[in-house]
Amino acid sequence: MPYRESSTASELVLTVASPRELAETDLSPYDSVCLGNAYCRRVAENFAEHPGLLPDAVASLHAAGKKVYVTSPAAPRGRDMPHVERLIDGAASAGADALEVHNMGVLRVLRERGIPIPAHMGAFANVYTHLAAKVMRDFGAVRVRPNAEVSLAEMSVISREAGVEVEILAHGKIPLGITEKCFLLEGPEETDPGCPAACVEEHWLTAGRPGGRGQRSGEGAWVLKNVGKGVLSGKDMCVVEHLPRLLSEGIRIFKVEGLYETAAYRSEVGAAYREALSLALAGGAYAVLPRWAQVLRKHSPNGFCNGYYFGRSGQIYVGTVLQGGNSRV
Amino acid sequence: MAELLASGGTAEMARAVLDSGADAVYVGAKGWSRRRAQYEMGDEEVIASARYARSLGKVLRVAFNTLPASGEIPLLLAKAEKFVGAGIRDFILTDVGAMKALTERFPGVQIHASVGCTIVNAEDAWFYKEAGATQVVTECRVDREEMRKIRQEVGVGLEVLVHATTCFTYLGRCTMSSYTRQEWRFDEEGKNHFLGSPNRGGLCYRVCLTEWDQRRGDGSLEAGGLVLPNLAYFLVDDIPDLLDLGVDTIKIQGREYSIPLVGRMVRFYRDLIDSYLRDRSSFRMEAWKEQMAGIITERDAERREKTAGLISESGLSA
Repeated sequence: MPYRESSTASELVLTVASPRELAETDLSPYDSVCLGNAYCRRVAENFAEHPGLLPDAVASLHAAGKKVYVTSPAAPRGRDMPHVERLIDGAASAGADALEVHNMGVLRVLRERGIPIPAHMGAFANVYTHLAAKVMRDFGAVRVRPNAEVSLAEMSVISREAGVEVEILAHGKIPLGITEKCFLLEGPEETDPGCPAACVEEHWLTAGRPGGRGQRSGEGAWVLKNVGKGVLSGKDMCVVEHLPRLLSEGIRIFKVEGLYETAAYRSEVGAAYREALSLALAGGAYAVLPRWAQVLRKHSPNGFCNGYYFGRSGQIYVGTVLQGGNSRV
Repeated sequence: MAELLASGGTAEMARAVLDSGADAVYVGAKGWSRRRAQYEMGDEEVIASARYARSLGKVLRVAFNTLPASGEIPLLLAKAEKFVGAGIRDFILTDVGAMKALTERFPGVQIHASVGCTIVNAEDAWFYKEAGATQVVTECRVDREEMRKIRQEVGVGLEVLVHATTCFTYLGRCTMSSYTRQEWRFDEEGKNHFLGSPNRGGLCYRVCLTEWDQRRGDGSLEAGGLVLPNLAYFLVDDIPDLLDLGVDTIKIQGREYSIPLVGRMVRFYRDLIDSYLRDRSSFRMEAWKEQMAGIITERDAERREKTAGLISESGLSA
């Protein structure tokens, strides 16, 4: 087997939707890659839609020493379930290391098929408690990504008590919602000529004006990213200045959200985090280096946030290094 | 026969809906349901309302359907113990771990998997049945075929919301509100009310309903004054179908509405259901739809006012 166990004490994971995005990205900072887009089955060349794309991708990533996960639809209807079954079989036979699961029905199908591949519970699986994580473990889950609203203190309990690994969103847009209908199209997905190109372009939803009516002091206008079948935070989650604390709380799996971003974003953000993680893991003095800050700022036009981890509003940034002065509108 | 379940946002509302023809009422235990504390009840009120329901041969169901913190599970079990001791056997939950803990601790309790579980396919229903749910609330766009599967193949109780909202996002999978504003506030029992999170504390600021501009990557305006669709709906045409399908519970949401309006909704559905069941072959829908139009107007007026207040509370301009 060309695949080798990672010797690093931590894992930096990247999400990538398609073969093209994979090819364009410098993957060297990453230990693992999660393939596919869970929001929409119609995203161009979606790994989660085309199991036939998986064998080559899995083999080449394994050859490069990386683990490979495959995501699954976040809210499949009954009519989507035959596809889910094909996807489970395709991911397992391609040798992927885990299936990312957001929907409990998908998790049950996986167990009914004898758990041919372990499950990683995704951002929409609503993991809030260690008890829920334990139930999912019994269905084949070995890793959970707690819901965005779950604080670091709560994650520590899950990590200690549930017998599963805990993955945290380290950097990138926070998934805030999934929708039934594509919000970028006027007609049905099947016939609207805008699909699947519409979500390749950037679309930002903004409300309120800085200093406008109803504005609370210290907070900029509100920005969200509209990706058609999902709503993401406008700001980027960022934990780079908190890495030593996260490591001391037992967090080892750090995800960079690469969906709906550029190849430069995926490559350069990953490189900054790889360097930051190495420094934090070394255990000595730790400080955010100016070059990391410069890269992260360049790729985050609406600024940073991490409030959920500290029991605050999701859009707030808690920290002293990268806060403030970065709102776009 | 299908149970008509209605909302009890206060003890007075609970009594009113039972008196107006509901077979069952659901109430939120303070800090534990998908509405803010204002529309929830203290333990003694819950127990007294349950006693009233029982005196009529009806059921009171307690909503514990927020997603708690791990450390709050003992609080949940202690509260459930108090209610079970007072003869309450019916609960609504979302967290699958809490569901399992409750059924293991109190065998024989009836657990309904909440709308917060976002049950979109029959396999979802299987999952929650195996975790201890005796009934599941389906997501509001689930089609008849999937409902039939859940009822007949999965063999778990089927509950359908006939007055609710079709959120812009999938209800139960949305954190847009808490992204805007969330505050941790602990009550005297130590329960965090997670203000601003509908999933955890029940309060949703409905920020989707503010006015949005959509901009391109270069900042130029693509569309102005958008409102993300989040409509409140009543099912009327579908009621005969749902009854024929063997739906176990028809649920009217409405804890945040006025008692007279909720009373009207309950009376409307009671009469509609009874009329259809009395004589399915000669049943005609038209008159019912006219009657519903008046209720919709009243509901929309109350909802508009409530939404504007919530958006303003979130810190965004409405």
